[in-house]
Amino acid sequence: MNKTINNVVCPICGCLCDDLEVTVENNEIIKMKNGCAVCEAKMVHGYKSDERILKPLIRKDGKLVPVSMDEAIKKAAQILTDAKYPLLFGWSSTVSEAQRIGVELAEELGSALDNCCSVCHGPSVMATQEIGIPAATLGQIRHRADLIVYWACNPWASHPRHVERYTAFTDGRFEGSEWKNYMQRLRADSGRKKMEMASKRIARVEPPIKPQVCFTGPPPQMLERKSGRKVIVVDVRKTMTAEAADYFLQIEPNRDYEVIEALRCLVLDQELDVDKVGGIPIDTLRDVADAMMSCGFGVIYFGLGMTQSLGRFRNIEIAIALARDLNRKTKFVISPMRGHFNVTGANNVFAWQTGYPFAIDFSQGYPQFNPGENTAVDLLRRGDNDATLIISADPGAHFPSVIMQNMMKHPLITINPDMNAISRLGDVVFPAQWCGIEYSGTAYRMDTVPLTLKKVVEAPPGILTDEELLTRILKEVRAIKVKRGEPVGQGEVKLAHPDKVKAPQACKAPAKPKRAKKGKGAA
Amino acid sequence: MITLTPLRTFNVPIQTPCITPENFAGKTLTDIKKLPATEGNRNITLGDLFKIEQDPAETPNITLNGDLSKVKRVGQAMKSGEIVINGNIGMHTGEKMAGGKIIINGNAGGWTGSEMKKGTIEIHGDVGDYLASPYRGNDLGMKGGLITVDGNVGTDVGCYLKGGIIKITGSAGQFLGYHMTDGAIYVEKNCDVRTGACMTGGKIVVGGTLEILPSFTIDSIKPKVKVDNTTNVSGPFYVFLGDLSERGTGKIFANKAANPALAFYEKYL
Repeated sequence: MNKTINNVVCPICGCLCDDLEVTVENNEIIKMKNGCAVCEAKMVHGYKSDERILKPLIRKDGKLVPVSMDEAIKKAAQILTDAKYPLLFGWSSTVSEAQRIGVELAEELGSALDNCCSVCHGPSVMATQEIGIPAATLGQIRHRADLIVYWACNPWASHPRHVERYTAFTDGRFEGSEWKNYMQRLRADSGRKKMEMASKRIARVEPPIKPQVCFTGPPPQMLERKSGRKVIVVDVRKTMTAEAADYFLQIEPNRDYEVIEALRCLVLDQELDVDKVGGIPIDTLRDVADAMMSCGFGVIYFGLGMTQSLGRFRNIEIAIALARDLNRKTKFVISPMRGHFNVTGANNVFAWQTGYPFAIDFSQGYPQFNPGENTAVDLLRRGDNDATLIISADPGAHFPSVIMQNMMKHPLITINPDMNAISRLGDVVFPAQWCGIEYSGTAYRMDTVPLTLKKVVEAPPGILTDEELLTRILKEVRAIKVKRGEPVGQGEVKLAHPDKVKAPQACKAPAKPKRAKKGKGAA
Repeated sequence: MITLTPLRTFNVPIQTPCITPENFAGKTLTDIKKLPATEGNRNITLGDLFKIEQDPAETPNITLNGDLSKVKRVGQAMKSGEIVINGNIGMHTGEKMAGGKIIINGNAGGWTGSEMKKGTIEIHGDVGDYLASPYRGNDLGMKGGLITVDGNVGTDVGCYLKGGIIKITGSAGQFLGYHMTDGAIYVEKNCDVRTGACMTGGKIVVGGTLEILPSFTIDSIKPKVKVDNTTNVSGPFYVFLGDLSERGTGKIFANKAANPALAFYEKYL
């Protein structure tokens, strides 16, 4: 029997689109509506992978062998309590309820605690600590923003529904959609390309090779005259988002800081001594600055092109400073394009529990914060830790090889639904449920709005939720510490909502309006 | 003089903020051995980590020998006396130092001399990032004192510098003197990009090549510059004023001979 579940929240990227319609048959998702291609890849196909881990595994004589859940939990707790400086890393693709238990576990162990944001938008968090951030929710931007700047990000590929749901292609209360204009331009462009091809074939001559232009789109003066929403994309290469933009600024790689610094000077009416910055003529930058100052409500979205290029968090700091300066002339906000669906939640939960969003060290008995010292990559590069727990992340596929070599020198515990690169390397490998598909919980959208993920299908039998698994590991750790006569944390760990996990609800057909039967109306 | 030598190779970070001349003063060897330290998350004593010996010589007060690259916070908040470190040392050495002297015959980790107020740090080797820069999220940079480095330094050196002098014989990474308001930094060799970003005061003297941010404007050409009372550097130097985006009046002195790429600024003089 088919069941359709409405308003399912998508557990993929920071957009957390909450309008999915999922059709379930025999405890399997067979169809979905409204989701993007990335969402469909995970929710319809990806989660049914053949590589699913169904039983806990422990490495014995170099091979992973299935064991009981109790044995695996005991082994993991033993490894973590024996270690002098364990590292707990991951957290961004699990629910906030599990992250909460994770902080408690880290405090009990006196370990380092870090989340995936240290290799993505950690610099944005650090810049916010340095200078603050003028921010707005995505709803505000949807209804009011008339200038959208995508700086060093490509939402067309990474957050496919961001443009459609929250910025240029959405019909807000005060600002309309630019979708029709975009389609017109696309048709005109393809027509022009066809004409060019045809004339090339007729003339049988090679067209002259065009020199690479550093900026495209209509001249910025036109931007000011154009009515409706305007989109500016700043990037080092012409992406699909840039194709859809009104104006594209192609800057030299690693020059974001200089370009923003020049824009700040122009916004503050300062004269510049140079002719070009980052490959862009100053006159062009002046027009862009004018477009920024003359908008009614502007927003800068920045991506990993800024946080992971030369300058890291200083790039973000200067971008926030630009938004601050622009607020003297108009309304301007700035926001990071957060990647994983609950990486914002990891920052929020860690900050709520410890005071710090990531890169936390509990070894002194109290939380200490220092990115560069306690962040996973730096810590592993120096080879400081002596045991690692990875939850809902795959550093095996993404971390540099030196770091993985250092990680492999010591015991490794993994908690992942799939047999991914890091699970294959683990010494204790736990299975996990897909959160947002097989169990419910809280996740934070990129603008720090918490939303509840839904349970859509039942998980395979015997697999615990992340929250339950971490709770049992924590209990075991405390039991070992009590045996050793060491002090342990007070109070019993309780699941946030043990009975909250509900069976999928069938969608009700809309009720038909009742009509009065003939002959009875008079009575 | 107290000499400390590691008893074994350290695998996890060791935090020893207790190693300061004030803490050791007037204590017997047995007392010093009982001072608290941490190895990873284990609370232990100094005697578990180091072989501690006493020497009749008066200065330096403390000598550390061997590979100490995992030992953090040596000489934290020290006020007087002298520490000599023969070997590489970890992070936060001489943090919040208010007097005395630290000599490091080896490389030093990040955040050396962070939030320092007074005193001297001599490093005969390379230094990691954030030399004399404050803790994350605050603007309490180095207020006074002197740091000399024989080798190269990493990024973000002298952030939020409010006073004092940093002299570097080698090269420096990017964001040298970020947001500095006073004090002086002298780099004999080259600087990476974004030197003096967001500075509002103070001076940076660079003997080698560097790149000037668009938010700086040329002021003049000067034949020589005085770094402090003992150091005069002869040029000639281009003098740049900035950072304009912060309406600052900090000065960057860029060696004219080493920077032909900056010659186009001369037309504005």
